[in-house]
Amino acid sequence: MTRHSSPPGELPTAAGLAPGAAPAPTPSVHLVGLRKRYGDVQAVDGVDLAIAPGEIVALLGPNGAGKSTTIDMLLGLTRPDEGEVQLFGRTPRQACVAGLVGAMLQNGGLRPEITVRQMLTSVAALYPRALAPDEVLARAGVSELADARTNRLSGGQRQRVRFALALLPDPDLIVLDEPTAAMDVESRRAFWTAMRAWAAAGRTVLFATHYLEEADDFADRIVLLRRGRVIADGPTTEVKALVGGRTIRATLRGLDAGALAALGRLPGVAHVEGRGESISLSCPDSDAALRALLAAFPGVEDIEVVGAGLEDAFVALTADSTDDTGTAPIPAGRTATSQTETTR
Amino acid sequence: MTLSSTTPDAGTAPPGPTMAWATTSLRYMRSEITHAWRNTRLLIFTLLMPILLFSAFSASSEGDHIGSLDVAPYIMISMASFGAMNAVLGTAGRISVERSIGWNRQLRLTALSGPQYVIGKAAIGFTIAILPIIAVFVAARATRGVSLSAGTYLGAGASILLGLIPLGGFAIWLGYLVRPESMQAITGGVFSLLALAGGIWVPVENFPHWLADIVKLLPMYWSAQAGRAVLEGGWIGMRGLVTLAIWAVVLGAIGGRAYLRDQLRA
Repeated sequence: MTRHSSPPGELPTAAGLAPGAAPAPTPSVHLVGLRKRYGDVQAVDGVDLAIAPGEIVALLGPNGAGKSTTIDMLLGLTRPDEGEVQLFGRTPRQACVAGLVGAMLQNGGLRPEITVRQMLTSVAALYPRALAPDEVLARAGVSELADARTNRLSGGQRQRVRFALALLPDPDLIVLDEPTAAMDVESRRAFWTAMRAWAAAGRTVLFATHYLEEADDFADRIVLLRRGRVIADGPTTEVKALVGGRTIRATLRGLDAGALAALGRLPGVAHVEGRGESISLSCPDSDAALRALLAAFPGVEDIEVVGAGLEDAFVALTADSTDDTGTAPIPAGRTATSQTETTR
Repeated sequence: MTLSSTTPDAGTAPPGPTMAWATTSLRYMRSEITHAWRNTRLLIFTLLMPILLFSAFSASSEGDHIGSLDVAPYIMISMASFGAMNAVLGTAGRISVERSIGWNRQLRLTALSGPQYVIGKAAIGFTIAILPIIAVFVAARATRGVSLSAGTYLGAGASILLGLIPLGGFAIWLGYLVRPESMQAITGGVFSLLALAGGIWVPVENFPHWLADIVKLLPMYWSAQAGRAVLEGGWIGMRGLVTLAIWAVVLGAIGGRAYLRDQLRA
């Protein structure tokens, strides 16, 4: 499991790309030191990512974490300020021209005024080779929508037609930006079933989501994004263990920035927040954290240990804090490079 | 694993990159034109309006002249230009709508490149513009007995289209500038002004001198004039050609810049 305090330019060691493994296959996705700034906002701040063929990876983070910007740069729709993108060893544009990439973009519409089949037929003509419109509709589980007009579809239907559109070039990599955003529970389930069937053939899937549950259900690997940086990257079970820890709350008299930083360095602590004299520690290992806390700060009072729900912990770990000094970075001592390390 | 280890092959299609480029562009235009053909509202406006207007304006003035032309052929060229202008300006709406729903982004994930998209969109406008020109020519022949040689028809039609190239650049710029909600109002206003400036409602010959002088600095007058000159057996002349060329370069550059800015931001 790899955790970054974001050293720029250093490649993460990802599942399937272990060093020493016999000639590594060309990664499906390879991002190095990606940065993008919009005005005062550093939307993406040094993202490194390598995805091997056949991996199913979730890009997980709250709104504003930089997921969509990363995906836009990955697809060649936005030019990075810095850094490099390669898909199958090519530029994004070359990969798209070769029909290697299919994508469902966020808030993407469908060409209006025509039927779903007409739309798919006209887009299919723009690929070097494409599957038949009826076939992609069947794979997306929406054959019955072939003759419907694109502007008369419900939100969920629209998303699934867009999924069919993404499958059209029979791509080796599919990129989905918040694919289930407009879907009800039933469409969501049907969508993931169709997606699983498609990915079973060893194709690469990268999807952005802000639902931990969705990432957990579907991905082999989770890349956790916060404020434009990768803060955790590893097998789903491990990232889940990290964000699924407990929270220690307590009161610490005379709390200052130095004490906050010291709290952040305690073993078992992933994230610290301080408000007035109250502290809140997100802990993958709350037992170790509590022992260390009592040893380091004997005056600590009103101690409370709560088992946070997955979503709560995830939010605590990735939420933007308005006051940056109140948030300690993930301790560098926890940065590990071996993919076999487990967080316990 | 190094980033520079793979040299990607640029062309994937066997016929070579240039052929593949042209094939993709043509396929795109063909499907878009097919969809336009199915769009009845668009057809009615681009085809029927110029025919109706031709019938109305050319009715009461038999035997009169405007400049050196009879009224019917003069109005025929005006209304053919009107319909063609409308079709070319329609490019703005098509780009704007597709941009607002992110369809242009979706298309950028295909083999269709950004330049192919924007050039294709303009070319579609010009192709649709052929329809009203033919329709008005046919109506003029059938109802007012305007009968010309095949060469004159072709020359006049082609001159109108070539004279609209500056408008093509302008339409691309509008497409990237204006949101679809306000497009109707803006193109409506712009269109009326352009048609007025082009002498489509009132012949420029009837304008006061100072106004005629201004209008002759603008491209719209010359696109209709290019068509009329062919009917008079001449050509548009150096002044018209230079005016059109300058406007084509300026508006083309403005349209191209708007497109590039959108590419980088979107």
